[in-house]
Amino acid sequence: MRKALFWLFLWLSSALAQGRLEAGVYGAPGALAPTLEVGFTLEPGEVYGKLQVGQEGRGALGLSSSLALGPLGYLAYGLQAEAGAGGLGGMAFAEGGAGPLALAARLGYRPKGLFPLFPEEGMFGRLSLRYRLVPKEVVGLFLERGEVLRAEVSYALREGATYTLGAGFSGLPYLVLGWKGEVGEGMEVLDLALRLGGLNRLEAGLYLGEASLFLTLSYPFAGSLGVWLGDLGLEGGYREAPYAWVRYAWRWP
Amino acid sequence: MRRRFLEKPWGVWLLALGLALAQSVSEILDRVERNLQDPWQAVVQGQIQGPGGQEELKARVLAIPKENLLRIEFQKPGSLEGNFTLITEKEVWNYLYLTNQLIVSPKEKAQVQGLGFSPQGLGDLKGLSERVNLRLVGEERLPEGVAWKLVGRAQEGQGFATLELYILRNDPRPVRFVFRDEAGKVMADLRVVEFRKASLRPQDLKRYPKDAQVVRR
Repeated sequence: MRKALFWLFLWLSSALAQGRLEAGVYGAPGALAPTLEVGFTLEPGEVYGKLQVGQEGRGALGLSSSLALGPLGYLAYGLQAEAGAGGLGGMAFAEGGAGPLALAARLGYRPKGLFPLFPEEGMFGRLSLRYRLVPKEVVGLFLERGEVLRAEVSYALREGATYTLGAGFSGLPYLVLGWKGEVGEGMEVLDLALRLGGLNRLEAGLYLGEASLFLTLSYPFAGSLGVWLGDLGLEGGYREAPYAWVRYAWRWP
Repeated sequence: MRRRFLEKPWGVWLLALGLALAQSVSEILDRVERNLQDPWQAVVQGQIQGPGGQEELKARVLAIPKENLLRIEFQKPGSLEGNFTLITEKEVWNYLYLTNQLIVSPKEKAQVQGLGFSPQGLGDLKGLSERVNLRLVGEERLPEGVAWKLVGRAQEGQGFATLELYILRNDPRPVRFVFRDEAGKVMADLRVVEFRKASLRPQDLKRYPKDAQVVRR
């Protein structure tokens, strides 16, 4: 028994040696839901959990592992099991890149979506493949079945900044325009993406290091504005109704 | 067994010779260390046996030895352009341009396979000499000047079997690395060119895009 406790203690101390915890509260008219995300880095990978409680609750437990190839690439993959409102669900995912190829894929099922931690509903999946033709040019293919259904191809050219041009289909065809570049001396980044047509959405991200700002605006009307100030995350927006989400993240060591 | 070996005069001579040579290797490495105390930068270029076969490698190397910082910015092959590796006292950071990720690993978990050479060794010869049993085999005239030639066998799990290392005699610093596999096939043949002392700050070496996803392993 003592021996078992000793090993448990050893395991726990190594498990807790590195991790993250993100606690928050999500609020929309008539609903208040605490959210919790936690992850521990273990020897073979990471164990993580997500929990949203409120009028409806849902939780997920996941395991992820990774393969690091030094400067050549990195691949992370994992499985997630869920339980809660509507029933059981799960997801498998893999993402990363090696040499000129980058991949992000996920496939899952969830009987009922629960915003913000579990937004998709039903069968959902995403596949993104990008290939680096030459050092400054990347072509991409993107397929998604989630909150929207869409397919997209894109071409990105880096000439100082990165310019993206693409076309997609989501019920109707749409155009993709993107710009991403440095906006300061310290590698601060502004990332803009505009989709017009079958999908109408503007996404903007400004990354300043200690602070990051995010904006999305869509038509039919939905939008969000978020900011991360160090470990504090504030988000507000409109998705059929106004909402707000406040989070705080702890990371250790 | 040991006593019988020492009883024979040639055994003693061999032992003495071995010690002398071993000493001169550590003396050479000490000279390199003293010579490279101040921040420096250089370009490493040559052929590597990458995952896609024989490829040309070109990388800019920036070092602040007193801070134990070494940054390798890849320029060739094209699939690695924009990637960099930063080696600190305890960690190895790998920035991957295509996925915009910064992978941070403790040094002991960050063995780099697949490049045919050890990027860590480019800046830390002392560390490299702990993993490769180097000995001095002579001197050779290179375009840069007369160089000591050190050769050695690597310990298991280094990603290469033997190393040939050339160190400039007049200005003690490495000028050429040849990594080979078990069969003696060259896996990487790298020259250090455009070497110069530079004014570098730690924050210059630790730069990465602020939107990168940081993954701690």
